[in-house]
Amino acid sequence: MMQSDQHSASDSPDEVDEAALTQVMRIVPLGAGILAGGAVALLVLGYLAIYFLVFLPRGTVG
Amino acid sequence: MAELHAGEMHERYILKTELLWAFGVGILIAATLSVIVFTALTMDINPPSNVERIDPKTLHLSGEFAEQNLGTTVGADGSVTARVIATQFMFVPRCIAVPRGKRITLRFAAPDVIHGLLITGTNVNTMVLPGFVSQVHTEFTRTGDLLMPCHEYCGLGHSEMWAIVQVLPENEFKPGQDGRVSCAQR
Repeated sequence: MMQSDQHSASDSPDEVDEAALTQVMRIVPLGAGILAGGAVALLVLGYLAIYFLVFLPRGTVG
Repeated sequence: MAELHAGEMHERYILKTELLWAFGVGILIAATLSVIVFTALTMDINPPSNVERIDPKTLHLSGEFAEQNLGTTVGADGSVTARVIATQFMFVPRCIAVPRGKRITLRFAAPDVIHGLLITGTNVNTMVLPGFVSQVHTEFTRTGDLLMPCHEYCGLGHSEMWAIVQVLPENEFKPGQDGRVSCAQR
């Protein structure tokens, strides 16, 4: 693996190893999706918890 | 050619991911709005929507916001109404006595600039605009002193503008001969 990296780098510094990129791109967006999805899910759960457990029991004011 | 193919695949993958994300966010927004609409229709949870005009130049001279009418009043039918003027930089009166466990009406008017208020620990939260009477209803569930600050910047003394809502137990909330109730001196 290390040899392969050295080989690629020595060929051209700008050249991207397509196989390695494809493998990385298969994982990275999934991690970003889980992170962003988890953050949004926590936000929505927090909103719903405050809405149902705090706001509604306090009753209507209209 | 192979590079172009990989790039195209990559773009398709990004588009698919973005569409999936947009779909998920769309579901969340729809669910949030559904909860609000459902509770509004079934439990009558709505923002205060009283539209009632009053002349801000003369409200202190006569009528329900004249000085002798401010504070808490118990009507002949037992209904409790508190009338408060929000002015730079105080609420008149500074303390409002209310009973626990009874639905009461709070009415506010302003003679000068836009004010706002909330009562801590309750859903009472409204703006007070000159020219209009702001009206909210609520039921206090716990006794004690609650802070009622102005929450709409109204001038240099804004941070000093606050009042106390004194929630009294039912046996201590006793109106006088004129049906008025003042804060207990402690």
